Amino acid sequence: MNTLAQTTTQGMGLLSLMIFIPLIGAAILALIPREYASWHRYLALVCSVVTLIASISVWYFFSGNTYHFQFVESIPWIKSWGITYKLGIDGISLWLVLLTTFITVIAIWFSFYVKERAKDFMISVLVLETAMLGVFCALDLILFYVFFEATLIPMYILILVWGGKNRQYASAKFFLYTFLGSIFMLVAIVAIRNMAGTFDLILLQDLASRGELAVGNVQLLLFAAFALAFAVKVPMFPVHTWLPDAHTEAPTAGSIILAAVMLKMGAYGFLRFCLPLFPEATVQAAPFMMGLAVVGIIYGAIMAAVQTDWKRLVAYSSVSHLGFVMLGIFALNHNGITGGVLQSINHGISTGALFLMVGMIYERTHSRLFKDYSGLKRQMPMFAMLFLIIMLSSVGLPSMNGFIGEFLAMLGAFQAGFEGAVPLWMPIAAGAGVVLAAVYLLWMYQKVFYGPNDKPAIKRLRDIKPWEQASVWLLVVFIFWAGLYPTFFTQKMEASINAVRHQTLLPPGERPTWANKEIDINRNGDIVEALERDGDDLGSWTQGRVLVQNSHYRQKEEMKAVASR
Amino acid sequence: MPELMDPSMPSGLNLVWLVLLLPLAGFLFQAAFGKAIERAFGKSTGRRILGFMAVLPIAAAFVIGCILVSHIANQPENARVAISTWFDWINLQSIHIPFELRVDPLSLTMVLIITGIGALIHLYATGYMADDKDYPRFFTYLNLFIAFMLMLVLGNNLALVFIGWEGVGLCSYLLIGFWYEDIENAKAANKAFIVNRIGDWGMALGMFLIAVVFASSQTLLGGETRYLSFDVILPLAQQVVGEWGGAVVWAIPLLLFIGAVGKSAQFPLYLWLPDAMAGPTPVSALIHAATMVTAGVYLVTRCHVFFEMSAFAMGTVAVIGCFTAIFAATIAWGQYDIKKVLAYSTVSQLGFMFLACGVGAFSTGMFHVTTHAFFKALLFLGAGAVIYAMAHNQDLRNYGGLRKYMKITYGSMLMGWLAICGIPIWAGFWSKDDILGKVFASNEYWHSQGWAINPVILWAIGLATAVLTAAYMTRMFWLTFFSGEERWRNLPEPAHVHHHAQHHEHDDHHDHGHDEHGFFIEYVDEHEDGQDHDHHDLGPSHEPNEVKPAMWFPLVVLAVLSTFGGLILSGGYPVTEVFGAHTTNLFKEWNAVSAQPTVLPAKEMFKVSHSTEAVLILLSIAAGLLGILWNRARYKKGIPQNEDTKLRRLAGSQWGYDNAMVKTFVDIGGKFSDAFYKIFDKGVIDTLFVNGIPWVVASTGKLIRKTQSGFVRAYAMAILIGALAIASYIFYSISR
Repeated sequence: MNTLAQTTTQGMGLLSLMIFIPLIGAAILALIPREYASWHRYLALVCSVVTLIASISVWYFFSGNTYHFQFVESIPWIKSWGITYKLGIDGISLWLVLLTTFITVIAIWFSFYVKERAKDFMISVLVLETAMLGVFCALDLILFYVFFEATLIPMYILILVWGGKNRQYASAKFFLYTFLGSIFMLVAIVAIRNMAGTFDLILLQDLASRGELAVGNVQLLLFAAFALAFAVKVPMFPVHTWLPDAHTEAPTAGSIILAAVMLKMGAYGFLRFCLPLFPEATVQAAPFMMGLAVVGIIYGAIMAAVQTDWKRLVAYSSVSHLGFVMLGIFALNHNGITGGVLQSINHGISTGALFLMVGMIYERTHSRLFKDYSGLKRQMPMFAMLFLIIMLSSVGLPSMNGFIGEFLAMLGAFQAGFEGAVPLWMPIAAGAGVVLAAVYLLWMYQKVFYGPNDKPAIKRLRDIKPWEQASVWLLVVFIFWAGLYPTFFTQKMEASINAVRHQTLLPPGERPTWANKEIDINRNGDIVEALERDGDDLGSWTQGRVLVQNSHYRQKEEMKAVASR
Repeated sequence: MPELMDPSMPSGLNLVWLVLLLPLAGFLFQAAFGKAIERAFGKSTGRRILGFMAVLPIAAAFVIGCILVSHIANQPENARVAISTWFDWINLQSIHIPFELRVDPLSLTMVLIITGIGALIHLYATGYMADDKDYPRFFTYLNLFIAFMLMLVLGNNLALVFIGWEGVGLCSYLLIGFWYEDIENAKAANKAFIVNRIGDWGMALGMFLIAVVFASSQTLLGGETRYLSFDVILPLAQQVVGEWGGAVVWAIPLLLFIGAVGKSAQFPLYLWLPDAMAGPTPVSALIHAATMVTAGVYLVTRCHVFFEMSAFAMGTVAVIGCFTAIFAATIAWGQYDIKKVLAYSTVSQLGFMFLACGVGAFSTGMFHVTTHAFFKALLFLGAGAVIYAMAHNQDLRNYGGLRKYMKITYGSMLMGWLAICGIPIWAGFWSKDDILGKVFASNEYWHSQGWAINPVILWAIGLATAVLTAAYMTRMFWLTFFSGEERWRNLPEPAHVHHHAQHHEHDDHHDHGHDEHGFFIEYVDEHEDGQDHDHHDLGPSHEPNEVKPAMWFPLVVLAVLSTFGGLILSGGYPVTEVFGAHTTNLFKEWNAVSAQPTVLPAKEMFKVSHSTEAVLILLSIAAGLLGILWNRARYKKGIPQNEDTKLRRLAGSQWGYDNAMVKTFVDIGGKFSDAFYKIFDKGVIDTLFVNGIPWVVASTGKLIRKTQSGFVRAYAMAILIGALAIASYIFYSISR
């Protein structure tokens, strides 16, 4: 760790430590003989909890007063190719890191069910956690790509070995589909290297901020290559069909992680790479991407409504919910992007919890088909009550987490429509997704929990046990926390969201760059030059001279002037 | 910047938080300890404790509401608004939505209705639900409902209103589906939630529009970012929206109105309310008659300044309200289920309220909300008592002559019946007559504003509705309490039937040994039998009895309110005016600050001479009497031969509207979606493209090289490499 510490600008290599704790844990697990099954379980749980604690300490020391990357560490990796091992997080990746570590704890906790080859299972999940954390921390394109693809392998193994009946097909489809998408990104990365001479995101964005990275059709092509990789991951319509199969066949822990974290890697990719590096192309493509998002919202919801398989329904609901994420991001305003990021986190919690609970019942009945259920509420009242809360958070009931993200994303989309950036029918149509969400989720609840309790298979079930309840209660606490006090999350997020927006929308030369540490963004979203500092940290600046004034909304006079022209 | 936060407001107003938190605490108490208390103290004592603990917070909230009213009433009129902020809910740079409550006459009016009537209905429910196996769950939901409803009316910004708005929808969903073992109830619950969500969609869009319109007028707002808070948007609405002009002016009110149409069950979204009668009757009284369904009227009144700016929006509100009133009244005339009659009557009365709002008489609309809460809650609770006494049979054709058996119920429902028929001095008369008078009086003004339909026509339809209302209510009342024969005695002696499949068969086989996960999951060995309480049916031997005091006491209180409430609150207006006497219209003066039109010329637009006023009053009384006499004569001797006509059946089936909607959206929509999934998602995208491309490659590969590995994956790898090569070439050529 010493070398890491010397090259870090701050934070003492905490990120590396956090990323590799699970991998070290996996290595230790590998050394413990198969017979000690409970050792594997508890050790894996301990590892994930330690990682969670590490990520919480990152959050604790993270400053919301700056948009710059914090905890940056950089060491040359393959010098001849210019590849560096460079890590750092900002206000967007911070929350995704926390989501990852939190969800992994839940997934491992719940995986105590797994009897068959528990050791290999735990090792796969831990390796997967390392790869996912790497994705959210990497600041070098190649490093990012390596982590991005590295997530595929453990997930592929999880589906192939512990999956359902159709696991062969699902795992191959999952792997090839997402791999085919990201292969174009690799080519684009190499092309960027040829043009700019570096893989370093910070340097590349510095070029882009001056409009010197790529222009015109080349930029559009690069954007398309990155976008394809991320769109498959999200997944956006029409490249979503890997998801229902993968979700349905994956073991419960796999489904939870897939839904909660791996889909977010796509949304994160857009925010981290597409927007800052290809700003003109982003603006050009935004209406198209929003259109796809709206189609995805409605399409996913309609598809969810006709499913007869419990897990498949939840999987299609993800297509719909992730549409809101993309809708918000490509609205390209503060409301929208904040909503998109919040929706990412909240979808992770809600849908993760849905998969968790479906997993609980699946472990008992070994059926995912609605026709095998009826009147479960009478049989398992506690389970039904908890499921109701989770279901409602997914429906987007205000005061629960699901509402906040959808509300802000749709507000942002509406704002974009009102200001003329996209057609106004898009946000209006997106609203139909909220209605349809009630349709398919309430139907699901009705089919399973309501009606007479007359299915022999469920009549002998007991309610869920305290340790199972505890894992859901943890998520329920989060649901209300995020629903009633989202300010807690947005406080450390807004500066980075402003930065991404400014990097995309401002003309070259005015865009804030990650390379110049003297530039920062204040509480109004203005770009400022830091004049006074209250310490050495990036977030310690107190006084600044405003360089670019910010307005979160286009003003009426401006819009009317545009309209009259 | 209009600063309405007056620091000199009595600090006692912070009590308003207690109004909100008490029912919430009640909810948490019931949810956490309900079952435990029932177990610890036994069923009868435990339920007495739980029932007491359910009524207590609501009654306490009512008392606090009264204290707040006395605080506010002492203030000068323009200082009757106070805002109390707790914490930041959503605090972004781009929008700030704090958790803030608004205390003003309008919100307090609603608070008193919700907690006052709510406490009475809670009390009633302790009796009505006493034998239900899910007693604690019922009060958990009911207390939660009160909390959300208070959130709705107390929230100082549209987002908080929206929390309450969807929250009451949730509780309505939970309570309609309370007896969920009957899948039809669960379906009715779903319908209610989903149809309401369509309205919520409109309301959310209205919120977004308000937010962006105000945000794009920063020069007027001066740095304020609470774009949804009433104390910011209402005073500035005229300026901001007026300067925007164009579609914004009518889009904001109409989008909000879509929300109101959903929640307040107006045409075309009223569909959910009749089905909502599947819930227990106290729920129908509280949620689907007295409080939740009036939330739409509250929203329109709260945001009236947005509506007033657009004559088109006002006209839409009036026409939708008027059409719903007569439409629902005809349907009610074709019902045989006592609760369905009342349900359609509620829809119809809500139409009256919107009619009042639509012509600009917001205060009158709110007055009808109040009196309607009195008499409709009474009628529903009375119907509940009848249903309870008649072994949960709800068919009017099986009632008859009940006044002998249930004297108190009969006596109080008599008051409710007179009130809804619009007979003076009962409460309904004062509000309904005032509405009709205001509609008539506003004719000239709206005509000059270019309405396509003159208010006189709306008034005539309203009058016809009043006749119909009196008619179908008389029909219901006579078939229940009079009409000579005791028709249930003609029914055959019932066979023992179970209403809900509550009996569990004993399941003997438990295969713990075979279950590989047995360590983690326990299965039930034995079953407690479902506590199937004696469901006796109607028949010759049935003897209806008066209900218990917990149930009739609320009836009596509501009967008093239905009798004198309207007269006291209105001070006899407008009758006194005709005689030239000047009494205080308590309700109107109290609500003036929040319900008085701000854009419309309220003083001039409702001008009408005393003689016309007198004729109008006489006509509306005549309408009520006509309806009563007509149907009293018709049902005096039981059900007439020609009762089951084609016309009545057609009206009873909602003129085929519900059926058409279900056919279109549920049946055809469902089939279409299913086909779409199979053909497009599975077929075109998945099979043709996703699996098809590897298949093509594999087949070509076979043709060319006859390789033997049948694995699709190997061929797919070939495409990957091919794609990689092509892409590399493209990027190589552009990046050179």
